[in-house]
Parts: sequence; C-alpha cells; structure tokens
Amino acid sequence: MKKLLIVDDEAFMRLTIRNMMNHYDIEIVGEAANGVIGVEMYKEFRPDVVTMDITMPEMTGIEALKKIKAFDPQAKVIMLSSLGEEGMVIEAIRSGAKTFIVKPFKEKFFNQIIYDVLGI
Amino acid sequence: MSNGFVNEPMLDLFIFESMQLIEQMESLIIANERSGFYTSDAINEIFRIMHTIKGSSAMMLFNTISTLAHSMEDLFFVLREDKPQNVDYTDLSDLVFEGLDFIKVEIHKIRNGDEADGNPSELINSLRVFQASIKGQDSSPEAMNFAGQTDSHENPSPEKQQYYISKVSRETTSLQNTFQATLRFEPDCGMENLRAFGVVNDLGDLMEEYYHVPEDLDHEDSARAIGEQGFTLFLKTDRSWEEIHRVLIQTIYLKDLQLTQAQNSDLLNNQDLERKILLEDSSDKVSDSSNRDRVTRDFEGKEIHSAVTQQSIINVSVAKLDQLMDLVGEMVIAEAMVIQNPDLNGLELDNFQKAARQLRKITSEMQDMVMAIRMVPLTATFHKMHRIVRDMGKKLGKEVQLEIIGEETEVDKNIIEHISDPLMHLVRNALDHGIESAEDRQAKGKVQGGTISLEAKNAGSDVLVIVKDDGKGLSKDRILKKARENGLLYKSEGDMTDKEIFNLIFLPGFSTKDSVSEFSGRGVGMDVVTKNIETVGGSVSIASTLDKGTTITLAIPLTLAIIDGMNIKVGNSRYTIPIISIKESFRPKEEDIITDPDSHEMIMVRGRCYPILRLHELYGVKTEIIDFVDGIIIMVEHDKKSLCVFADELLGQQQVVVKALPEYIQRLKKISGLTGCTLLGDGSISLILDTAGLISL
Amino acid sequence: MADVIENTMELEEDTQTGRFLTFSLGRESYGIEIKYVTEIIGIQAITEIPELPEYVKGIINLRGKIIPVMDVRLRFKKEAREYNDRTCVIVVDIKDVSIGLIVDSVSEVLTIPEQGIVEPPKMNKGFNNRYIKNIGKVGNDVKLLLDCEKLLTEDELEDLSEVQ
Repeated sequence: MKKLLIVDDEAFMRLTIRNMMNHYDIEIVGEAANGVIGVEMYKEFRPDVVTMDITMPEMTGIEALKKIKAFDPQAKVIMLSSLGEEGMVIEAIRSGAKTFIVKPFKEKFFNQIIYDVLGI
Repeated sequence: MSNGFVNEPMLDLFIFESMQLIEQMESLIIANERSGFYTSDAINEIFRIMHTIKGSSAMMLFNTISTLAHSMEDLFFVLREDKPQNVDYTDLSDLVFEGLDFIKVEIHKIRNGDEADGNPSELINSLRVFQASIKGQDSSPEAMNFAGQTDSHENPSPEKQQYYISKVSRETTSLQNTFQATLRFEPDCGMENLRAFGVVNDLGDLMEEYYHVPEDLDHEDSARAIGEQGFTLFLKTDRSWEEIHRVLIQTIYLKDLQLTQAQNSDLLNNQDLERKILLEDSSDKVSDSSNRDRVTRDFEGKEIHSAVTQQSIINVSVAKLDQLMDLVGEMVIAEAMVIQNPDLNGLELDNFQKAARQLRKITSEMQDMVMAIRMVPLTATFHKMHRIVRDMGKKLGKEVQLEIIGEETEVDKNIIEHISDPLMHLVRNALDHGIESAEDRQAKGKVQGGTISLEAKNAGSDVLVIVKDDGKGLSKDRILKKARENGLLYKSEGDMTDKEIFNLIFLPGFSTKDSVSEFSGRGVGMDVVTKNIETVGGSVSIASTLDKGTTITLAIPLTLAIIDGMNIKVGNSRYTIPIISIKESFRPKEEDIITDPDSHEMIMVRGRCYPILRLHELYGVKTEIIDFVDGIIIMVEHDKKSLCVFADELLGQQQVVVKALPEYIQRLKKISGLTGCTLLGDGSISLILDTAGLISL
Repeated sequence: MADVIENTMELEEDTQTGRFLTFSLGRESYGIEIKYVTEIIGIQAITEIPELPEYVKGIINLRGKIIPVMDVRLRFKKEAREYNDRTCVIVVDIKDVSIGLIVDSVSEVLTIPEQGIVEPPKMNKGFNNRYIKNIGKVGNDVKLLLDCEKLLTEDELEDLSEVQ
C-alpha cells in the first residue's frame, strides 16, 4: 500500500483529490489544511507521495516543501499550481519538488502523475 | 458536469468555501475602504482569495467565475507588486464589489442547479481599464508596456529572463558525448515550458553544457511551442546514453522521447553554444523567483498571527450536527428508558443508581457540548450589513455609519439562518425610511451623518438583537392613516397605545406599493420580519421617538434544540412547559378561586389575581380532573404577563429535545400555544407549550 | 400483513412502475403507487393535535421520527370506524413529506398493466373523485388508484374552515 498525503488549505481541493484518487493500492494517509500541519504529518506518516498546494496561508507550499525535503531528501512532492504561479513553480522545482500539476486538472492527469511519481 | 468525480458534497463544499471567502473579502474591503486605502496585508489577502476562487471554480468548470476571478487577481497582483500611489480606492471598491456580486449571482445559479451563464466580459473590461489607469500613471517604462499586454502577471517582469542551473565547473573533464533529446508531453498537461525547465533541472549536474529549443522557457508562448513541436535539448555530457535516457524517461507526463547521439560533437558549438552556457555568476540573468520570494514572505508574515486561532478548526455541515443532535436526543430518551424502567420499581439498587448518576452526568455534558458546537457568533451576519449600508448610503446619497456592538454574541446556527434576512430588511428600512437626508438632518440640528447601530446581547434564555437608528422616527399619524386606508385598524384609534400603533407596521398588508423603493420596498413588508422571527420562537418589539429615531428589538431564543422542560399530564395527553417560563406550581385551594359573571376563572395568589387556563378545555382533552383542587396550577410568565395553566398533574422535570411538528401539520395550521413536540422516555410524544402564545390567547 | 411487507421489500430492486399496494376501506379496494410507500406498520399510539381537521388524527413516533397520520376513511368523508388489529398505517413519502395513512387493512402488491388503467368517469358529485387519479382493472376487480399528491394538498383550506 502506497501512502499519499494531501496538503491543501481548501477542503474543496482536498475532497476533489480524494475523489480523483482511485487506485486500489494507494491510501490517503492524511489531509493537512496548511503547510505547518503538512510538515508534521509528513514526519508522522512518512507518505510515499505528497500533493502540495502552493498558495496557502500560514506556511506556503514552497516553505513546507523545503522543510519536508530538509527532513527527508527522498521525499516525493507534487506541487499543485495554477497559471500565474510560474515563478513559484520554478522555485519549487529548484527546491526539490518532483513535479507539478496545473489547476484545473482532470482526473486522468492526476492519477497519471501519481502513478508516474510512484512508479506504478 | 462531464467530470465523473464531481459530486454533491464537492459542489456543496465549493459553494460553501467560495461564499466564505467572498464574505471575508467583503469585510476586508469595507474595513480598508474606510481608512481610504488598502493595506498591503489586505491586498495580499484579496489576491490570495481571488487566486483560490479562480482555481477551484476552474476545477469545477465554472468558467465565468474563474475568468473574472482571474482578472481580479491580476488587478491585485499589480496593486501588490507596483504599489501604485494614485489609486482611487472608492472606485476600486466599487469595481471589486461588482465583481463579487457577479460571482455571488453565479454561485447562486449553481446552487439552484442552473447554468452559471453570466457574462463577465464587461466587468473584466472595466477591471482592465482600471488596471491600465493605475499602471498608466506609473512612470516606469515597463509599466507603460503593461496596459497593452493581454496577459498579466503570468509574466511579472517584461524583461527577458533566463534560467540557469548552478553547477560546478568541470573544465578539466573531457566531454565525450553529445546528445539530442526531443521530448513531447501529454497534451493539456499545462505549463509545458516549466516541465521542460524541470527536465533541465533533473539532468542538472549530468550535463556539462546544453542548449535548448525553444530557447526561452519563461514565456507562455514557449509552452505552446513545446506543446506543438516538443522540447529539444542538446547536451554535452560525460555520461552514457543509458544514464541520460534513464533520467529523461522518468519525466512526468512524458508522451514521447527521442534521444540520439549527435555525430558531430561540434553541434553545440554550431548552435552558438558559447553564449548560452549559463554560469552561476553570469551577470545578465534575472532571477524570476525574487518577486515570488517576496510574495512568499509576505504571506507568511501576515498569516502567522491568525495561525493560532485557525489551526485546528474544521468545517462541519449543519446537517451532520443536526443528526448528532438527534442522536444525543435519542440517547437521552434511551437513558430515561433505562433509568426509569418500571422493572426497577421497588428494588434497592445502590450500585445501579450510582452508575446511573454517572451516566446522567455524562449525557448532560454531552448535550451541552453538542449545543456549544452549534453556537456561532453573529459576527459574520452583522458584518454583512456593512456592505448594505455602504451601497445603499451611496445610492441614496446619505451619509450613514454602521455601529456594531456585541458581535461576538453566539446563537444557534439554525437561528442565524433565520435572522439574517430580517436583519437585512430592518437595516435597509432604517436607511431608506429612517435616516433623513443630510440637509434635513442639518435643518433639525442633528449631526449630518446618521448612525445605525446593530447590537446583540444575552438576556436570560434569549438573545436580543437591537437595530437602532437616529433618524426621523415613526410618525404615529402616518401609520394610523395608512392602517386606516388598508383596513387594518382593529380598535378605535383613541384607545391605542403608542406601542400598539407602532406594532401596526408589522401587520401583513401594511407595507404598500407607494413605499416601494429599490431597497426596502419590493412589496414585502415588515410582516416578513415578524414571520421569520416567529418561526424561530422569537418576538419583535418596536420603540420610536419622533425625530430621535427608532429602535427595533428582536428577542430570539438562544437555542431551539434542547430545553429544560416540565412534563405535565392532562387526561392521556402529555405536554411540556419550558422551565424558564414557569414561576411556580401549586395545588390550588378552593377559596382562592374566583369566577366572574362572564364565567372567567381566576385565582388569587398572594393578593394578586391571575387568569386560569384549563388545558383540557383549550385542547378538548378528555380527563377526570375537572375540579381545580384535584389538579395542579402552573403559573407561567412571559413578557411580564402571567397566566395560570391548569393540568391534571406534574410528571417531572426533564431536558427535552425540541422537535418541530411535522411540516404537513405546520402547513395546515399554526396551532395556538404549541411550538413543537418531543419524545418522552417511554417513547410517547409530548407537545411543547408556547407560553407566549398561551398568554396572548 | 407480514408477507405484504416482504413483497414490498422484494420490489425495491424490481422496477416500480405499474406496481400498486392495494388496501381496503370498507368494501372498496384502493391502490397506491408503490414508489410512494416506505413502510407498513400496525396501528399504534397516536398523539392528538388540537385544532386540526378531523381526518388528521395526530402524530406518531416512528423510531424517533415524528410523522403525522391521516385517517383515509375520514379524508374521504366516510364513516369513522374503530381501529382493530387489521388496521394498518401505510407510511408514504410524497414530495419529501412523510405521512402515515390509516386504512382498514392492507391487501397485496399488484402489477397493473398500462392497458388495465383507465381514467375515472367524470362525476359531478361525490368528493371521492378528486383523489382518484385512475381506475385499475384486475380481472373482475376494480381498484381505485389514489392521487397521493392531491391527498396532501387538495382543499385543505376548505376543510379547515369546516372545522373552525
């Protein structure tokens, strides 16, 4: 069972991801509503993959990404970005984000990216 | 919706969160507008809110909302980045409010299951014009450019940007291989240019030198080009084909990869590589991330203070709370069924009683907790009024200030939903009919600007919400005239107290067509306010002084859900009276009963005389207990009026879960003196008496 | 009654069109579309509510849910009859309103093919008529098929004014 952690301040997006994630072998181990909790949950659950919103209150996705990478350089983090966030996407990639997905995205794309990152 | 994953809860959540964000944004704007400019915190916050709404509405394929939100986001991006000095913030607020209204209307359509088919293009245009105007006054040449650009902060800096990858110079290594890699991505994967950037980044140290087509990965045009023609990378490396291939093949959303070894190792040179090798210390590069870095820091700084309070709050649907409440209610009943089980009669059960007490304590705490969860402060409801006061004041040319007192007062979530509309109506009325024009006010020697105050406070089991204005007050003559015209006078004018006259305005049919204005009229009158408040068991009262102002007080029960009740019996029927309204109960003595010539029955209690209401007569219930001395008198009070209710016997005090009478019955008739019903421990139903209703019979 | 309920349950998976639960009031046999029926229970303690039309007998506690009960006999202005162990409450859900219908007894679940359903004759008198949507023929028997929505909405005002 692979473990997925969702970090997003919007319950709507978390639910969307939950609904899209349809692989029998992937378990959503946690949903964090901000970066701070996201980092804590990462340490606790050690997920195989994280989806990370970029724009969040309290601690942005980029900061959370950096903290997670500092804790576990092997961490696989997928950034959720939108048009207009190109600069931050670049920073995320530099900071070790595995890849990114652009909102709005379709179910197919989402699953594909997760499978690709997990190599399944 | 074509997406298979979209479902009801998601839509609900989308609507809920978007509305919440919009409300938050409205109060931000109003708070800032007052001070004449927007703080950078507010601008950041609004930017973030629009960004969020843009993203989630795009996910839901609500394009009208997402394009408009995008435009607003753009505007606030400019405000944030350029910090223009000469912004007309009133115009800005108007524009943004218009935008929010558009989104609200669209969400409303969505909620009703309609197509969100509004056309935001005009608004978007206005936003562009505004954006251009603040940009146009900016003197920097790049800003002047801006107005002409169609897209905006996608390219925050118009200067040419290049990306570079830090690497250790390895001049001594001999470069063995030159490769040409062509990658194609899945169509529609988005930001292809940055995906290409990611590829370059992934290869990182493996490359000694590289060059790619398109050259510039920053521009959106490149994304399109890569989407159409693929991304081609020429690289020099000391690694093998296999090693490079292994890295490239892992690229996310890779549709197609061609990796060939170039015959001519000079290929790169031919491509004019020299200029392109980007070294760390190269001076002409511009780091795009600097802008965004600042953004990041801004967000952090701003949000941290609110972090403490927000950290562990979750949103729960009211329906779930209702269910929980029902469950707790059923548990209370089940508990009563166990503890008061007839099988236990006459048994000495010390341990059982002890355990039962413990159980009772826990269930009662649980009830309190469930109640507490449902309580929400009036803050949001009150702050919504700012917007109304602002918009209406502007339109009517009246200068009005809204004062809010006690917004932290909490009431049951269900009740909030019922008072929001009436409050809005009252505030509109106060503005429209209450507050005079500035000239009139000056003529009367009043301060030019009017004040409307909204106050909430606790009073026993009620919450009082008071809407007060310092306007012209109600004219008794005009009310009477109107009531006469509409045939609403129920007694002679001379006999009416001020209060009775004022109360006429709450009668259905009082508000007539000639009072219709854009805001408060619309054919609905104050009777709607009364009706709404009465549905939640509240009451409305009014006081007014000519030329001083009008005060309308809504008394609303703190909660609808659980009350302390006294269960009583009449024949085979059970009734419950809220403990809060019971003054005393006693077995009456024959000599205290008085019957007047009209057969009205009364009772003397400590020198005062109170009317008696026989429940069995009122509701036509068969009972053996007809003589007062055989039954019990329960004295109830409401609004300083008392009544003695006559019943067979008291059954005992108990917390009861208030349930509404079935809708079918409510639709048939509003039954005098009944507010609802509840389930008793034995599964039977008790009808809950409405003291105020009984007294006014 | 038990088998009737069982039949009803089985039906859930089946298509519900053309299926009727039949019950009797005196000598007449009525049918109600099965899609409205949520359950059938025996008569139970009814809490009377004052000031309502006579045919609304009051409310009952259905596993914690409080629903109104209507005496269909009285609704059709037929003579009242004492309840007995054959008396049933058919709980129906009509446009999200749950209500119990008190009937003399419940008979069976029937399929009435479309060609067996005809419009009722136009009658000038007889208030029954307005609650009957159609007439169903099953062999030699005739079933009066109820218009459930009208049962709940029609002429409430008129009925109320009669009470007051």
